[in-house]
Amino acid sequence: MRRLFIMPPQLFRIFLLAVGIVAAYLIARYFLTPPSFGEYGGWYRGAALAELATRDRVYAGKKACEECHGDEYAKLTKHEHKSLACESCHGPGEAHGIDPRKDNIDRSSYAACIRCHEANPSRPKWHKQIVSKNHYTGSKCTECHLPHSPSEVP
Amino acid sequence: MTNEVANAVTNIVEVVMPHFEGYAYPNEATQQPLWSVLIVLYPYITGLVAGAFIMASLVRVFNVKALEPVYRLSLLTAFAFLLCAPLPLLFHLGHPERCYEVMMTPHLTSPMAIFGFVYAWYLMAVLLLELWFDYRRDFVVWSETTPGFQGLLYRLFTVGVMDESDEAAQLDHKYGHILSIVGIPSAFLLHGYVGFIFGSVKANPWWGNVLMPIIFIMSAMVSGIALCVFNYMVLTWIRRKKVDMRCLDVMGMYLFYALVLDAAIEALDWIHRIYSAEEGFQVMQYMAREKLFYTLSLGQVTCGTLIPLILLGLLQLIRRRVPELQRRRMYFASAMLILIGVLAMRWNVVIGGQLFSKSLRGIMGYKMEFAGLEGWLMGGVLLCLPFVILTVMVKLFLSERLPTDGHVPHRD
Amino acid sequence: MKNNVSRRSVLGKITAAVAGVLAAPVAKAAKTVTEKVLVTTEAPKNYDPSKHRWAMAIDASRCIGCGFCAEACKKENHVPEGPYFRTWVERYIITKPAPDSGAARGETLVDCPNGGMHGYPEPSVPKEEIQHSFFVPKLCNLCKHSPCTQVCPVGATFDAPDGAVLIDPKYCIGCGFCIQACPYGCRFLSPVTKTAEKCTLCYHRITRGLKPACVEVCPTQARIFGDMKNPVPDDPLQKFYQNNLLVSLKPHLGTEPRMLYAGIDKEVR
Repeated sequence: MRRLFIMPPQLFRIFLLAVGIVAAYLIARYFLTPPSFGEYGGWYRGAALAELATRDRVYAGKKACEECHGDEYAKLTKHEHKSLACESCHGPGEAHGIDPRKDNIDRSSYAACIRCHEANPSRPKWHKQIVSKNHYTGSKCTECHLPHSPSEVP
Repeated sequence: MTNEVANAVTNIVEVVMPHFEGYAYPNEATQQPLWSVLIVLYPYITGLVAGAFIMASLVRVFNVKALEPVYRLSLLTAFAFLLCAPLPLLFHLGHPERCYEVMMTPHLTSPMAIFGFVYAWYLMAVLLLELWFDYRRDFVVWSETTPGFQGLLYRLFTVGVMDESDEAAQLDHKYGHILSIVGIPSAFLLHGYVGFIFGSVKANPWWGNVLMPIIFIMSAMVSGIALCVFNYMVLTWIRRKKVDMRCLDVMGMYLFYALVLDAAIEALDWIHRIYSAEEGFQVMQYMAREKLFYTLSLGQVTCGTLIPLILLGLLQLIRRRVPELQRRRMYFASAMLILIGVLAMRWNVVIGGQLFSKSLRGIMGYKMEFAGLEGWLMGGVLLCLPFVILTVMVKLFLSERLPTDGHVPHRD
Repeated sequence: MKNNVSRRSVLGKITAAVAGVLAAPVAKAAKTVTEKVLVTTEAPKNYDPSKHRWAMAIDASRCIGCGFCAEACKKENHVPEGPYFRTWVERYIITKPAPDSGAARGETLVDCPNGGMHGYPEPSVPKEEIQHSFFVPKLCNLCKHSPCTQVCPVGATFDAPDGAVLIDPKYCIGCGFCIQACPYGCRFLSPVTKTAEKCTLCYHRITRGLKPACVEVCPTQARIFGDMKNPVPDDPLQKFYQNNLLVSLKPHLGTEPRMLYAGIDKEVR
């Protein structure tokens, strides 16, 4: 301790200032580092994982649809469209699942068929495509096709 | 039905994308580049700091006596600009209020995380201390002779060390000397790492380049010395004093050598790019020819490099035959051109690197706005701010009314 | 005198000890207060990230360019309107070479209007001049050596233990460095939150046992998602890995994406 006082006064003042700054930094760091920082071993807030996981979903998922619409679901899984999710054509369904009404789910428009099946040179050849204006001049795809069971004839 | 189908088939694109040629990743097609004017200014200002400090070190470390008239001015210049250096960075953040996190949890693999520490080190451990050791005895004297608030300020700046003896001054000088030796690598670190921020981005072929830190250091030295020439000449002009021609000639000489080095390394960079012509070369070539023509060919190469090289080179050869007034004009013109040229270089790096898509298939357009955070106005204000600070500091610390022991370094 | 000094030092030590004992709980109390300020949600802890390893793959030969995925992603994640996408679908058109040009193929045209969400306009070249044309879904490449997380100055974006590359929206300072560092253009600065955003693999879905929204709505299984640590019987992802030759995007950058592609051309980057 006495040695410090032999330091020239300039150096001693600077030294005190430096100690003060470092101490202030360490104290600030003690208080301002988020508590879960480094929880999973990485350089991040561990709580962020749970925070990101708790967001609400918008798309409910196939299983949620099956709970009420089991018959349609069963029909769908037996035909060519079995790989489709309900929400591919009907749009996000979480709101409809919570409050099942007819107006908060897309009851599906004809554009949905065309969106996949309109002929397009970029689409893979195995995929069934039509040129809609040559294909049928009527008004509804469902006159001839059942979306949930495409191979059946209505 | 027909309308619906028509919409689905012809696929009306609802959002009109900003102008670009070729293909850009959808996230890149924003109105403005992610990093714009503020990030152009940031390396420019830090570069000026590093360069001005190197200029001051020429006196302290390399004992270039002719440059003593500008020693304190260059230190103060470095200090004034350093105070402003983090502002553009801070303003461009999406969440400036969270900036403390960089100091609390610095992610050590990120070049940007070190900024807080390098900056704090350079500001407090190098520049402030060197200035303090240089001025301490003057502060003591001035605090006794200056009345009022200003005297109180000087009293505060002494931090209570009132020793006026020659031994104490000798010690001050010794510490200052050590600090400037530490300061040179620190200045290189400060600016080299700014170059590394860009040079480390391997996703961007315009930036990802090992030479980037060196190019940044070189251009920083050039711009810093040019700034000192500019400041010195303006200050003597304002004070109606005579310019110390010997000092100016020596500054011009160092400016010339730094510029030669800078031009050589930047030329090497370009030769390497053109010769190796790696992935993305075509898109960069197109960009240099079209989008960056004015700032690159005219600004950076012609104004910033070739003309000053010729002017300063001529002066090295036929200095004695050029009358003083002409010489002064040539130095001033070179300094101005270099300052503009280096700004153009920063623009070319920062904006240029964002004018092409990382898919290397497209070129984006960019028109700078006037008002707004990333506009001309803000840029101008941020560029003027260090000069305002410098004016205040010159009034406080370089006033002619203050007695000074002439900061003549004591040789031991 | 000597006695005095030693007494003083003893006194000093006692005061220091008392001060230390008093200061510690004060500091702890203050720390708990700051912790309460810094932590705002009580998130459920029933998901263990170390027990999963999520991965995804793209079978581009199955993509029909319907754009359901890009649309679903925007809705599911409340992605802002405009040029902001966590996933998108590019259309590639490679033309036939000009006669006598001696080239293997013509030029490559790429487009992705509005992320492919609303489909694509008629190709700018007539059908007869097209040699190849295909769609490529794009999203976070889940790099093993992710350049984006490497450059984050504060540790706001990170590789989660379960394989997702995430951004902590409460910690991101919005500097944009990660966006510059991502070679695949998968990140953007949200004009709403002013933080960087990217594909989270729909973290709020996968941690509840659901598929990511884009995988859910994909009608052709062009997007394949799975858990490498808990393969289901007849796991589609494992099957995909076994049955295809796989490539990654921009392999020369050394990022080693875990997002693997089948059925794409050299022009895709």
